[in-house]
Amino acid sequence: MPDADALPLVEAQLRRFLRREVDAGSLEAGGRISDAMLAKVAELGLFGLSIPERWGGLELGLAGCCSVVTQLARSDRSLATTVGLHNGLGVRPLIDRGGDALRARWLPRLAAGEVIASFAATEAGAGSDLTRAATLATLDGDHVVVEGEKHFVTNGGFAGLFTILARTPDRGGARGQALVLVPRDTPGVTVGPEEHKLGLRASSTVTVRFDGVRVPADHVLGEPGAGASDALAALEWGRTLMAAGCVGTAVAATDAALEHVRTRRQFGRPLLSFPSVRQHVAAMLRESFAMQALVMAAGRAERRGDELSHLATAAKIVCSEGAFDLCDRAIQLHGGLGYLEGSGVARMLRDARVTRIFEGANEVLLARLGTALYAAESSAERRRLHEHDGPLAARFDDVDAHLEVALIRAREIHGLAGVRAQTLLQAFARADIALAAASACLASRSPERALAHQAAEDQLDRAERWIVAAAGAPERSARDALLVEPWVERRLDASPSSEVRA
Amino acid sequence: MLETPDGRRSRTIELIAEILEVQVDTVRPPQRLREDLGLDSLQSLELLSLLGEELRLELPMEEALELETVEDACAFVERTVAANA
Ligand SMILES: Cc1cc2nc3c(=O)[nH]c(=O)nc-3n(C[C@H](O)[C@H](O)[C@H](O)COP(=O)(O)OP(=O)(O)OC[C@H]3O[C@@H](n4cnc5c(N)ncnc54)[C@H](O)[C@@H]3O)c2cc1C
Repeated sequence: MPDADALPLVEAQLRRFLRREVDAGSLEAGGRISDAMLAKVAELGLFGLSIPERWGGLELGLAGCCSVVTQLARSDRSLATTVGLHNGLGVRPLIDRGGDALRARWLPRLAAGEVIASFAATEAGAGSDLTRAATLATLDGDHVVVEGEKHFVTNGGFAGLFTILARTPDRGGARGQALVLVPRDTPGVTVGPEEHKLGLRASSTVTVRFDGVRVPADHVLGEPGAGASDALAALEWGRTLMAAGCVGTAVAATDAALEHVRTRRQFGRPLLSFPSVRQHVAAMLRESFAMQALVMAAGRAERRGDELSHLATAAKIVCSEGAFDLCDRAIQLHGGLGYLEGSGVARMLRDARVTRIFEGANEVLLARLGTALYAAESSAERRRLHEHDGPLAARFDDVDAHLEVALIRAREIHGLAGVRAQTLLQAFARADIALAAASACLASRSPERALAHQAAEDQLDRAERWIVAAAGAPERSARDALLVEPWVERRLDASPSSEVRA
Repeated sequence: MLETPDGRRSRTIELIAEILEVQVDTVRPPQRLREDLGLDSLQSLELLSLLGEELRLELPMEEALELETVEDACAFVERTVAANA
């Protein structure tokens, strides 16, 4: 496999490049990432990470791509997002669903970084609910005509190729969708100005309009009508790569915090000598470990051709929340300095914030995963990744069994109405992904066994807490399981203000 | 209106249109919940759960997962009414 040969070499060159040429502070201050920087990234081969060798790429596989994105994110999250988006959502639909002629035409240029890829699904009226996408791709002879506007297009400012999600009313059903490839230089494509963002400021985010844009019919990727599931397949890569970026942020935040608490002295001692500071750092190390273990488990699943969607979703949620929590802890341990931009940790927090929103808002992913568990569409098998026995594996089995019992009991009580008890479903989903994270820690091949076990224990504790929260709900009616009390309903519906007087 | 099969059928179709925020005359029995109406299997569960509440029916979840068309949903409601009678 190219994976094993290429990865160490790429990583060695990458480390040198990051050390010498990448400074997150100045990248951010310079606005959108420069063409010169993009050219250097291309020279390292980073735009061809996931592209098969026969089209000039490195064919790394998901695990190898994750490893590179983690390295990039340790230095700069905007750069990691640019490269990760290109290699995941940007090129996977073309690799997996494109015809041979189309792949031969575009993939070599994408691998060389001559052309950078974007993925455009979101619209003004279609964010979490992509079934509402209004962009149309209608057949006209041997072409399709694209009409619509896409928002929040990452890489859009410099991308040469957009993969867009469009409705195909004349094929694949009235609400059928498909992914369609649109080259930037096609007449009718207009790229808007860069958005001003909280974080990821060196990455590009724009609106792109398509006015009567004609592309040959072979630019429709995959089967017309299968757009939604094709997008989900690409998101398996996208979410895992984004989670890998969060691992990089987690490592960087933990390194920065450790460095600070080792050197900063108060009360005549280094901060690291205080038990509560040590506890913060230990929690950070355990959390980072679990995040990394989940990403690696997803990488192994992809290599084996196993189902990836559950692990990608679990990694996306655990890593986006973990990265934000770790940045927050790193700021706390820096004290006032952490609040100043010069510390670097403030930027990490700003950069990490969006990961709980994009590629599927966490609340939405949790509700969907919870519904799948509740409808017994998702099986307990999916969260067991380890093979070891021993006391922790036995505890995993116990917690796993508790979750199944809680699910069965909830189904008995709520029946079909339970599929609308969103907070209950999210609690089940949280227990499920914590179990997957625990199992990933136990399955990890890291020599740091004590850390692996403690990280797994944290996740099992978390899973138990969510099962207790969910199991409390069945005692109430399905409506109450929404956990919105009548006074809240009244308050929320009554006035636009949320002012509260005690 | 919900006492007769025709009444239940129109209410089912009306509810589907309400949930999808589309005109009621655009929802037709042969349409597929997924490809034509853009509902995936989990969203169709939500739809059926609302139907169950509105029509005061206990709809079994296992069968709910197997519905493919608007017609299936109407027939499913009728079967459940008959079974409960
Ligand atoms: C920096 C950046 C880069 C992006 N890059 C891309 C890109 O390259 N391509 C692309 O297509 N999109 C991109 N996006 C868009 C992103 O994927 C969407 O913002 C995201 O999917 C959420 O959609 P929305 O913003 O419309 O939020 P909404 O759908 O309006 O949701 C707002 C909030 O409401 C809650 N919510 C919504 N629905 C539910 C529900 N069913 N249950 C419970 N809670 C719910 C969630 O908390 C959610 O965060 C990007 C966004 C940003 C900020």
